[in-house]
Amino acid sequence: MSRFFALGLASVAVSVVTSTATAQSWRTLDVARQLTDSAPASVQVVYGTGRIGVRATSNPLLYHMQLRYDATRAQPRHTFDVASRKLQIGMQKSEMRFSGRNDADAGHLQLELSRSAPLDLSLDLGAVESDLDLTGLRISRLHVESGASDAKLRFDSLNATRMSVLEVSLGAASFRGDRLANANARDIRVDAGIGSVELDLGGQWTQDIDLRVDVTLGIVTIHVPSDVGVHVTLDKTLASFDHEGLTERDGGWVSKNWDSAPHKLRVTAETVFGKLSIDKTGR
Amino acid sequence: MRTAILPLILAVAVAPLTARQAAAIQQNPKTAKPAADSAAKVAAPAVAVESTDSGKVQLSKATVDSLTQLVSRYRRDPEAVALPPENQIAMGGRTIPAGTTVAGPVAVAGGPLHVYGTVNGDAIAIGSDVIVHPGARITGNAVSALGTVNLAGGIVGGEIRQLAGALGAVPQAAEAESRAGSTRHALALSSSWLIILVLMAIGVLLFAGDYLDGVVDSLEGRFGRSFWAGIATQLALAPVLCLLVIALAVTILGVLLIPFAIVAFVLAVVGLITLGFLAIARITGESVAPAASKRYSARGAALRALVVGVSIYMGLWVLASAFAWAPVVETVLRGVAVAITWVATTAGLGAAVISRGGTKRSAPTASFAAVNDIPWQTPTPVTGVVAARRPTPSSSGRDR
Repeated sequence: MSRFFALGLASVAVSVVTSTATAQSWRTLDVARQLTDSAPASVQVVYGTGRIGVRATSNPLLYHMQLRYDATRAQPRHTFDVASRKLQIGMQKSEMRFSGRNDADAGHLQLELSRSAPLDLSLDLGAVESDLDLTGLRISRLHVESGASDAKLRFDSLNATRMSVLEVSLGAASFRGDRLANANARDIRVDAGIGSVELDLGGQWTQDIDLRVDVTLGIVTIHVPSDVGVHVTLDKTLASFDHEGLTERDGGWVSKNWDSAPHKLRVTAETVFGKLSIDKTGR
Repeated sequence: MRTAILPLILAVAVAPLTARQAAAIQQNPKTAKPAADSAAKVAAPAVAVESTDSGKVQLSKATVDSLTQLVSRYRRDPEAVALPPENQIAMGGRTIPAGTTVAGPVAVAGGPLHVYGTVNGDAIAIGSDVIVHPGARITGNAVSALGTVNLAGGIVGGEIRQLAGALGAVPQAAEAESRAGSTRHALALSSSWLIILVLMAIGVLLFAGDYLDGVVDSLEGRFGRSFWAGIATQLALAPVLCLLVIALAVTILGVLLIPFAIVAFVLAVVGLITLGFLAIARITGESVAPAASKRYSARGAALRALVVGVSIYMGLWVLASAFAWAPVVETVLRGVAVAITWVATTAGLGAAVISRGGTKRSAPTASFAAVNDIPWQTPTPVTGVVAARRPTPSSSGRDR
């Protein structure tokens, strides 16, 4: 009887181990479109699993995507409607599944976008590691939605187009935004479920910024240049607020230079279980 | 062996193939020919094709066959654009001269497509490059499979597309997962659950053996009652949870506790179900394979019974999974597994509830021990010390 069970358990273990091997068909797709004019375009990027990078291209192209993917699990999409100037690019999200493999085996997408065309950029990301270097792009609106990811967003130089709104919506993620003042957006909104959010508002300030942060469970750190006045309105439940250098005034918290600062940051934060920190030393 | 074809292609194409392109041509095992055979094909009657300078070059039949197979694979590729008919695909390359306009699609295989003029439509190169020279214009897409699209000053109105990697039809995930693969997956899943439950059984036996004994006692004594209690418990779960949430919601402090209460409730229910299932698995194991009392210790016998019982119940699921390649049989077996597992789990849950998680033992059945009446048949004195009371079954039960 014991031999029977030993054999049974061994066969089960073997079946579990062998079941991890599945058919794959890795392919590389490289698509681009020449830039014919600098009219505004709408770009919708959808990507579920893997690594994604977005940056500006120095070539006269509207877009250039390099995609490595497992063709048995996902279907690329790359459509551009010339009339409406709407680009849909990335992978069909509904067909993507977790592969359970490590990063070395994961797919990746590298997208380069035109520097000269104003872009309404929307990124719908799943469980991805993203590096969004939007330096040099002309972005009129930015929407980043991500499920479970490690996301980095940065603007190393001033966005030449005034951005109407910068929205970041995260599920369970680690998000870091660098030099966000260069985004040239008056309205910045960050909505996160669980995770850590680090916002560096360094860069070139051209206007006051309204920042709305809504984090359910997590740590929010906001780095602000020392010459920028800060006003924080906080709605917190079981959360802590590190308000060093801020004083309470009219139901909110303000920095000492609030009245005299050339540019102002108004933070409206809401957090349930978490911690909000304002770092006024700048970075 | 396969490399024997490569020199033939290199001899034809003005722009030599890259190693990647050549490898792609070699991918198809049907193109593998013995060297002597390939050499013989060179001398064989060749097919006239258009070269890069629009002159005619000779390609061997073997080369044309391998290129035809590559074109066929490209046609099945999901990223391919529509090709012209087979006889309009230029094997070995083609040049669109300056000042000329050609209706697309224009396709080449095994040699470059030089565009100096205008292509009204798509320009496609399979196993080679598309070169868009200054002044050239392609109104559609410029596509290269296993090559590159070289923008050397011309204009492409459509998309510039380069494909690399496995060329051809790609089965999607659902199709790719063969019947054997799906069977393997189903087996792995059910087997994993079997292993998890066996490990849980060992853990429960080691750390909560007394509670398990309590549930087993309850099941052995009142199986029917346990089953009905299990059904009642299942029906009551949702209302009880609602009442719990409402009760907490009416107080300010309680509102904050609602998430924790829900988690605690779910954990408690899962714990009771697991305890009950393991109890009934143990009883089943003891019934199916009773252990010889001398061979095993009490704990060893209990472990053996648990492993046997869990294996029996989960074995039904493993068996159903083994027939994943036959959907009808799998459905029937899975239905049987669901029914049996539900009955077992329901009875186990009921027993766990009745025994309060194994903490309350059922009252032992009154035993009618044989009583030796003879010592008690002494005459009782009319006066004096009262004789000791004779033990009766009911009094024995009370004394315990």
